Amino acid sequence: MPVKHSVAHLLQNRTVHRAVLENGIVVLAVENPAADIVAGRIFIQAGSRYESPEQAGLSHLMASVITKGTDRLSSQEIAEQVESVGASLGADAASDYCLMSLKTVSADFAEMLELMAEVMRSPAFPEAEVELERRLTLQGIRSMQEQPFAVANSQLRQTLYQNHPYALPSLGTEETAAKLTQADLQRYHQTYFRPDNLVFSIVGRIASEEAIALVDRFFGDWQPPQQENGQPVPLSIPHTPTLASHPERVVTVQDTQQAIVMLGYLAVAVDSPDHMALKLLNTYLGNGLSSRLFVELREKRGLAYEVSAFYPTRADVSHFVAYMGTAPDNAAIALDGLRHEVDRLRTTPLTAEELQSAKNKLLGQYALGKQTNAQIAQIFGWYETLGLGIAFDEQFQQQVADVTVETAQAVAERYFVEPYVSLVGSEKAVELAAAAI
Amino acid sequence: MIALLKADFSQVDHFPAREYRLANGLTLIHQQVPASPAVMVDVWVKAGAIAELEAWSGMAHFLEHMIFKGTGRLPPGKFDQIIENRGGLTNAATSHDYAHYYINTAASDLSDTLPCLAELLINAAIPDEEFALEREVVLEEIRQSQDDPDGLGFQALMETIYQRHPYGRPVLGSPEALMALSPQEMRCFHRAHYQPENMTVVVVGDVAWESALELVDQSFNFTLPAVCPKPEILAEPPLTQIRRQELCLPRLEQARLMMAWTGPGVEDIRSAYGLDLLSVLLAGGRTARLVRELREERQLVQDIGGGFSLQRHSSLFTLTAWLEPQYLAQVEAIIGDRLSELAAVPVSEVELNRYKRLLCNDYAFSTETASQIAGLYGYYNTIAQAHLAIRYPEVIQSFQPEELRQLASQYLSPLRYAATVLIPEG
Repeated sequence: MPVKHSVAHLLQNRTVHRAVLENGIVVLAVENPAADIVAGRIFIQAGSRYESPEQAGLSHLMASVITKGTDRLSSQEIAEQVESVGASLGADAASDYCLMSLKTVSADFAEMLELMAEVMRSPAFPEAEVELERRLTLQGIRSMQEQPFAVANSQLRQTLYQNHPYALPSLGTEETAAKLTQADLQRYHQTYFRPDNLVFSIVGRIASEEAIALVDRFFGDWQPPQQENGQPVPLSIPHTPTLASHPERVVTVQDTQQAIVMLGYLAVAVDSPDHMALKLLNTYLGNGLSSRLFVELREKRGLAYEVSAFYPTRADVSHFVAYMGTAPDNAAIALDGLRHEVDRLRTTPLTAEELQSAKNKLLGQYALGKQTNAQIAQIFGWYETLGLGIAFDEQFQQQVADVTVETAQAVAERYFVEPYVSLVGSEKAVELAAAAI
Repeated sequence: MIALLKADFSQVDHFPAREYRLANGLTLIHQQVPASPAVMVDVWVKAGAIAELEAWSGMAHFLEHMIFKGTGRLPPGKFDQIIENRGGLTNAATSHDYAHYYINTAASDLSDTLPCLAELLINAAIPDEEFALEREVVLEEIRQSQDDPDGLGFQALMETIYQRHPYGRPVLGSPEALMALSPQEMRCFHRAHYQPENMTVVVVGDVAWESALELVDQSFNFTLPAVCPKPEILAEPPLTQIRRQELCLPRLEQARLMMAWTGPGVEDIRSAYGLDLLSVLLAGGRTARLVRELREERQLVQDIGGGFSLQRHSSLFTLTAWLEPQYLAQVEAIIGDRLSELAAVPVSEVELNRYKRLLCNDYAFSTETASQIAGLYGYYNTIAQAHLAIRYPEVIQSFQPEELRQLASQYLSPLRYAATVLIPEG
């Protein structure tokens, strides 16, 4: 029996089966009969974090080409198989993982998973497809310049992260993407696409045992690459530089209608004890119509349509950003306003009521974000991939509950010392902002 | 309470929801979805941009912002707190045919949240000082939209294809028109349109019919309508030629070719669905005709996509290609050829079945959650009738190649369409 062990966990009225196949594949399966849909998410421990700066964009290009040919099937043949059953089968690269995703009506799931096995196990990376997707990627990199938010976000990340792989956009830069070759993609695939580096997460109208058995049927005989002594080649571990904060200001002058003003701070990885307090501060500050930024800068002062904050969950050091788009004339006021609101988190503790509201909001939105089979598959697979395990879904609640007014303020004091500033806007906007703090 | 209500809809076969008209004329659509983690309450109002006088362009959308500014009983911001502090979500959107407002909230909170939404929608105060402040926010929204080349191009395309019908007007309005609006005019627009016969309340989630009905019936108490001038909506005469518009934009990294055709509105929903099918057949995936030829094989475009939207008075069929400027004419000519082909040669059964299946599965994938289901019913009930929504897969399955050939020939002419071309400045 190639399934090494299998355990059922009851989480919030949902049974999550976790099985480990003999070749190391972890399978998470949740039966949800509500709709005639099965969603599969396959996480590969790879992604931008594993790229060298010279090869930025490699994960993304690999993901663009992997569905475009196997040893046996052409790109069009794969697409015909998928589209003829109205399914979707795709690949993506994120900061901390690569993702293969699949969505079908229940009856077609086995057939599509079999196709997915072929795509993942014997991709051909045809030269012509590599060339096509590389050219389209380069165009995509240039097109990012059309979106002021993307420009502001990209330059902020570069200055925050310096020589850390999180610094660069997932598409890479024109310089790095242009140099990527078929051999690079093949090497990347050989390094990371191996059974002991994968998490399958399958949710929908399918019995958990059946989902696990199907993974075993199509992927169970896949073996990790071996060394001469018969042992598996060790898994590659990313070596990322340690980051120190050296706040500075980065500016791009563009003749835009709105100025984009961003404050950024280096934050922490998901396994840090400060993570949940930062999530709550982010929710309180920038999430929703009752958030502090929305109320103070939009509702009370009419300075922006979009004003928000984000703090992505990351395996390595994350970042905390508050931003808004505003008329060029308001660029300095916007910058001062954002800064004032973030600083207030350090100087003035939240009231118990404010913190409780932020907790309710964070937990409520977390629950609302787990409605479709694909969303559920994503969350469980991701937590497993981050090394938090599926139990994190429940620990999340406890960790949120444990944050106190004092810890929230202490965390704000620790991380929101001095912001990096990113600005995109007209000459006038940039001049005005230069006069602000 | 229930005795006061009169049921004047017969249950339509297979329609999984229950539809009732309350005594005051308000329509309630309810579907219980057990095990759904939240209840979606989605209120749809027939008061989109087509309800505006031309001079009031932007009114419907601006009003959507002002609805959240409270009533005599709920000060500005209070509603957002009530919903969000309980872990719920709320938001709204406005288009030409509708404005809609939703809350997504735990079933146990419904009796605290739903009445507040009703209060906002019916008794919006539209205070003068909030009006001036929120107008700044809408002006920012317009500025933001002007920094988005795809949005800008799409709006130009709409103005080109709808020269008389208000579908051509920007939903956000213009800064000049917004500056000329008064709070008094907005109150008038609001009291005239936010009336029970114009509204559909959709409740989907783990809540029983009786509770939903009682809550809605108690919460939606309307005041008498205001009289407000209504626009005369002119039908759009058929296109007789190619209407082309070229825009040079700064900061553009690649060109766009955007093409549009109009089709029937909800009065001929079957033909509209046929155009939907043709849209995916042309540009709905890697095997679709134009994607395969233009992106994958001849590599003339960065990407090409199709859009189809069913609107009340006229459906809209669009194709957009992102490409280098030197290929613009060639790509437009190829698209014209492929449309001629579609009008001349019936598609094969194999190809047709693939896209039927794709659309039917898309329908299943987009009716998975309570909020998706509520949105579907609300939208259909605003432009037509809710129960039509669920017939979509069955109608799609019934198409034959010859009917699609005829639809292509009738609606997708390579000689009569609107085109907007975006080219980089300089």
